[in-house]
Amino acid sequence: MVKRFAGWLMSTPATLLVLLLLLVPVAATIAATFGDARGPFAPYADFFGSAFRRAVLWRTIEIATITTLIALFVGFLTAFVVSRAPGRLKSILIIAAVFPLLTGVVVRSFAWLIILGKNGILNNFLLWLGVTDKPFAMLYTEGSVIVAMVYLFVPLMILTLVGVLEGIPDDLLQAASSLGATPAATFRQVVFPLAVPGLIVGAVLVFTGSFTSYATPQLLGGERQMVMGTLLYQRAMVAFDWQGASAVAAIMVVVTVSVVLGMTRIARRLNPMSS
Amino acid sequence: MTQPLTIERLSAHYGKVQVLEDFSLKIEAGELVSLLGASGCGKTTTLRLIAGFLEPTGGTIRLGDQDLTRLPAHRRNIGLVFQNYALFPHLTVAENVGFGLKQRGAAVPERAARVAAMLERVELTDLGDRLPAALSGGQRQRVALARALVIEPPLLMFDEPLSNLDAKLRVGMRAEIRQMQRANGTTSVFVTHDQEEAFSISDRVAIMQAGRIMQFDTPETLYSRPANAFVARFVGFENLIEMRVLARKGDLVEAEAMGGARLTLSQVEFGAIPDAFVLGARPEGLMVVGPDAPGIPATLGLRSYLGRAYQYLCDSAVGPLTAQGLLGAAQEVGSAARLQPVAAQCCILAPEA
Amino acid sequence: MKQPLHPALIAFAVVVFFFLVAPLVIILGAAVSDTTFLTFPPKGFSTRWFVKIFEMAAFRRTIVTSLEIAFLATGLALLFGLPAAYALNRYRVQLPSWLSTVFVLPILVPEIVLGFSLLKSVAVGVDMPVFATLVAGHTLIVLPYAVRVISASLSSFDFSMEEAAISLGSPPIKTFFTIVLPNVRSAVIAAFILAFITSINDVSVSLFLTGPGVSTLPIQILAHVEQFFDPVIASVSVLLMVLTVGVMAVVELTLGLTFLAK
Repeated sequence: MVKRFAGWLMSTPATLLVLLLLLVPVAATIAATFGDARGPFAPYADFFGSAFRRAVLWRTIEIATITTLIALFVGFLTAFVVSRAPGRLKSILIIAAVFPLLTGVVVRSFAWLIILGKNGILNNFLLWLGVTDKPFAMLYTEGSVIVAMVYLFVPLMILTLVGVLEGIPDDLLQAASSLGATPAATFRQVVFPLAVPGLIVGAVLVFTGSFTSYATPQLLGGERQMVMGTLLYQRAMVAFDWQGASAVAAIMVVVTVSVVLGMTRIARRLNPMSS
Repeated sequence: MTQPLTIERLSAHYGKVQVLEDFSLKIEAGELVSLLGASGCGKTTTLRLIAGFLEPTGGTIRLGDQDLTRLPAHRRNIGLVFQNYALFPHLTVAENVGFGLKQRGAAVPERAARVAAMLERVELTDLGDRLPAALSGGQRQRVALARALVIEPPLLMFDEPLSNLDAKLRVGMRAEIRQMQRANGTTSVFVTHDQEEAFSISDRVAIMQAGRIMQFDTPETLYSRPANAFVARFVGFENLIEMRVLARKGDLVEAEAMGGARLTLSQVEFGAIPDAFVLGARPEGLMVVGPDAPGIPATLGLRSYLGRAYQYLCDSAVGPLTAQGLLGAAQEVGSAARLQPVAAQCCILAPEA
Repeated sequence: MKQPLHPALIAFAVVVFFFLVAPLVIILGAAVSDTTFLTFPPKGFSTRWFVKIFEMAAFRRTIVTSLEIAFLATGLALLFGLPAAYALNRYRVQLPSWLSTVFVLPILVPEIVLGFSLLKSVAVGVDMPVFATLVAGHTLIVLPYAVRVISASLSSFDFSMEEAAISLGSPPIKTFFTIVLPNVRSAVIAAFILAFITSINDVSVSLFLTGPGVSTLPIQILAHVEQFFDPVIASVSVLLMVLTVGVMAVVELTLGLTFLAK
């Protein structure tokens, strides 16, 4: 008798935790946006009625997209090198990728404050080179946010893809070359197509991560480069406009969930192993 | 089209371990040669060196007039059939077969025609659109074969291609590979650890051990006239008995084994016998006879039933021996008997240094 | 044995790894600079900024709070997650397939949305104390690590071993501790470490849940950076990195770091 419920008995506490602390509160946040005194869609009308907030949404999507594309390119090539590296070197490279990943977002973003600041390393270097005679304003631009985001997410992409690339048997690469494929052709026609599912997983992780980030755009973009995350905080904790904040939250959930579901669908269609 | 493969003084290392030393082998045009040996004997290393996946530390590999030794793998033009087939999982059967043609820049219509013709040859015409995951083991094997053949390589190589198939399929595929190779007359190298497979498929077999060729000959010669004790044991001469000649009378030779057992052997039956030699005998080459008949005295041990005969583990003055006896005369454990060599199942070897 | 890589590709990877490591080296340099402003390369050498961290009550307090929360949240997540991971694998047939998806939700839902929702519904809604809400929020975001990492390990565990032990007379609960747990030990350690580091570094959830007198280290760092731009931040960052190195060393010694790449 106990046996029949044992599985439930053990999984229910954790399920309840997620239900009570996640599903109920998040559902309440989203539900609140439809319970506005002024009508069910008023907070959304406010959001999309404001040119500033529309720009924030657009900027966030832009930053996340650019970050994802750069991370895909950089991560894929680097992961390929790592996956083909000899044993010992490979472990060292993986450690070099894991370490930044385990270092906090705040710390890693802060590093770019030192690098990109008006008296930062990069400006000092450019002055010393004589490229310019007065420092560039690099902080608080979209570019500075993107650079830091790429820095944030490249290790994640590398680690995701190393796993995928290592799963490609050496035999396949040898088969390709025995059939006359040059290394470049092997990469294009065998390695890349087989890595597509991994690239999609990586893209989803990086896009959702950068779309919903807070600390990096806050430190490197400030008020001038407001994104959805910083907007949510500003609405909730500075303006105390909880309805407005809830609308921002709801839009973030919708975008995130649709990207995840959409990409999973694409992944299923592109999966080389399914007919 | 078809060309001889010449390997001269090849050596190779994995790190500091030398896996191939001073290895030479010449395979005639159109010949199918097997490299046979246990794992770690260097057969796969040899194949990978020929394919260009490993770089030799010395020696040359030539195919016809062309020196392959330093040529990158993708320019060697060798058809390779892998142990686990190595089919591209993201490409259809037809795309897999057409992969090599595509690399050679063949036009799409030509490619399609040649792929279709090849699929017909391996009887996979209807499966051209399937992905490898949807095929059975035997079908994958055919795709791998078709993919290697369609580029019409001057050299075909097989890396234990049948080891992942079940026994029945294996025998069928063996015949197919042989027929296909005969029809094309392509020089071929076949790597395997299965003696029956190597012997049934090859023109000649190189038996390898520890990075060296122990004997390179036709299967018939290897089977009946092994050149040394290693090959003899490998082809089933389980009993190796060291002997020396005491006297010669015409064709007859009287020889003595360690422990004093004496045998009279006919050189007409056994071939020329040197003064010191090793008598190799398969279990069926040592016949259990009565204790009063001539032969090696032995005490019979464990008896097992083989269907056509009984096999006995025996104790003798020359050490443990395996012999066979007639079904009609089952002997009990512990009984005394003599073991008589049967020339057709024996061989004469020079003693090892 | 492998295809040699194109030199340009190798050069590219070298640049990428430089890009990954250099900023962390810069922080290290800035932390030991004998100046009152952040600079790199460091001018002079001084450890006074490390001393300074502990002289500042706000940092002292938040370091302790962050550690307390990380230990509590990780412990709770394992307490809830271990039985769930076990059930998901051992009773796969009797449990619905969507159940495992439940434990992915805390990763799927944006953390910052979660933080805001917890503020509204839990901190304000049911008036939970600040510290308790922080622990609850952190437990939730690290729960997926506990469930998924341990579950992945259990999925290759042969449960007939457990049956063998029971048939030999070992009671079921004891069997779990003597047979099952030792076999997934490395996964439990990995889950603990990933969860701990995630909690220690969390910003997005804590952001909304910190209250008067109770804050976490990353939130304190953020607040400090907005006002001052001195080497204290660099030295706190170094402190966090040292913690990470320590944790990584533990992983390396117990499992090997490549484990994390899986």
